[in-house]
Amino acid sequence: MSKEVELDCLGEACPVPLIKCEKALEGMDTGDVLICQIDHSCAMKNVPEWAREQGHNVEIEEVDDGEWEVIIEKVK
Amino acid sequence: MKIFDKIKTDPYYKAWLKDAWPYVTGAILLSVFQIVSLASTGTPWGVSGTLADWGAWLYQLVGGSVDKWYYFASDAAQAKLAAGPLKDPGTFRNIGLIAGALFAALIASGFKFKKIKTWRQVAAAVLGGLLMGYGARIAFGCNIGALFSGIASMSLSGWVYAVFLFLGAIVGSKLLVKYFM
Amino acid sequence: MGDDQQTVRGEGGIKRSSRTRTRKKKKNQIPLGIMALLFVVAVGIILARTVGGNVALFWILGSSFGFILQRSRFCFTASMRDPYLTGSTSLTKAVLIAFAVTTVGFAAIKYGAFIKGLPIPGQSYVVPISLATAVGAFMFGIGMVIAGGCASGTLMRVGEGFGMQMLSLFFFIVGSLLGAAHFGWWKLNFIVRGPRVFLPDVFGWVGAVVLQLLIIALLWIAADKWAKRKSSSSSH
Repeated sequence: MSKEVELDCLGEACPVPLIKCEKALEGMDTGDVLICQIDHSCAMKNVPEWAREQGHNVEIEEVDDGEWEVIIEKVK
Repeated sequence: MKIFDKIKTDPYYKAWLKDAWPYVTGAILLSVFQIVSLASTGTPWGVSGTLADWGAWLYQLVGGSVDKWYYFASDAAQAKLAAGPLKDPGTFRNIGLIAGALFAALIASGFKFKKIKTWRQVAAAVLGGLLMGYGARIAFGCNIGALFSGIASMSLSGWVYAVFLFLGAIVGSKLLVKYFM
Repeated sequence: MGDDQQTVRGEGGIKRSSRTRTRKKKKNQIPLGIMALLFVVAVGIILARTVGGNVALFWILGSSFGFILQRSRFCFTASMRDPYLTGSTSLTKAVLIAFAVTTVGFAAIKYGAFIKGLPIPGQSYVVPISLATAVGAFMFGIGMVIAGGCASGTLMRVGEGFGMQMLSLFFFIVGSLLGAAHFGWWKLNFIVRGPRVFLPDVFGWVGAVVLQLLIIALLWIAADKWAKRKSSSSSH
């Protein structure tokens, strides 16, 4: 059963959301899903970019005006 | 109103006004406007010089005076201070930047006021702001005036600035992770 | 097939549990955006007719910079910080491209004035190099990473509604005033001895442009290789 981890990065300054996502993903297993809540416009670009470069599956969902969820499925 | 909801699904709206542009697109457009700035105003883009002027005007508001300071000693600087912010081009360029960014966020339905979350962030903003302000004055500018415009102007100072800016960013990163996260 | 009632699949196919917290209804800010645009245009027109065309021009240029920065999430801070902190160089490379394009444009404008015997625009940005340059840039580098934004980035984020950058801007102003107060000391002890080096004076116009573009190209390749190295060496 794959785990689902929620990470609240609302109100964080760049590059904190990315660093937090990196650390969270390290401790997760393949197939687990990380859901990162972000309200920083830079992070909604650099977190998915980093995650895709690492080879994971990424989705971005706009939750509200200026709020996004970056959903990362750990692939390897 | 329904028309605004319809706009939200329009593909041109999405591509031009909603989805984030690639970094390279930004780089080229910024360059275009830098060149436009030099061509039309006779001077490249700058940000931090105006912030020092804002400091002087604020200081004057609370009873201070910068008239004897070497930094503001030139005739041009004295004239600019005397004319006030409402006649100052740099003031309008900086406030315009804020307005342009606000417009971009609103038209993409992405504006949200983000409150300061922790005392660490307060400390980071205070310390970071002070370091940037002071550093920019003694180095003749910030990432725009000294780095971007400096290098574009083929001044060796821009490259020297770049090297030490990069080193500072490394130290800043270490401090950020250790104390401000 | 086989998704039970408790799981959803997003458009990318990632399976996850449906949201348990209720979503706020998204407001459509486009009307506000249109109002903001009208405001920017109106201020431009008013400025042109009252204070003057130059100030109006600066307003429009500033608004354009702000719009472009926000739309592309451009960040000079990240261009300097990410190679070390995250191994990413996508912004570093973008900044290098900006350096290259502006080098060509600025050189053309400056050379055009030079050969006509006119004063070269923008030469006030060719500033003396001294210890003050190094110390100031170093301080700025530390400050911009800690504060979560450089000068342009701070202004951009004020426009995006970040309380932290509003605070940072205030102290940027305070720091600038302190720097201006001390500027005389730095000038007397260091800056006055520092050379102003305009690369075309040293290498000729063509030489300077070619050399600068070459350096930028080499840095771009280095940034490209750095990112590849960083992503292949990380183990996940």
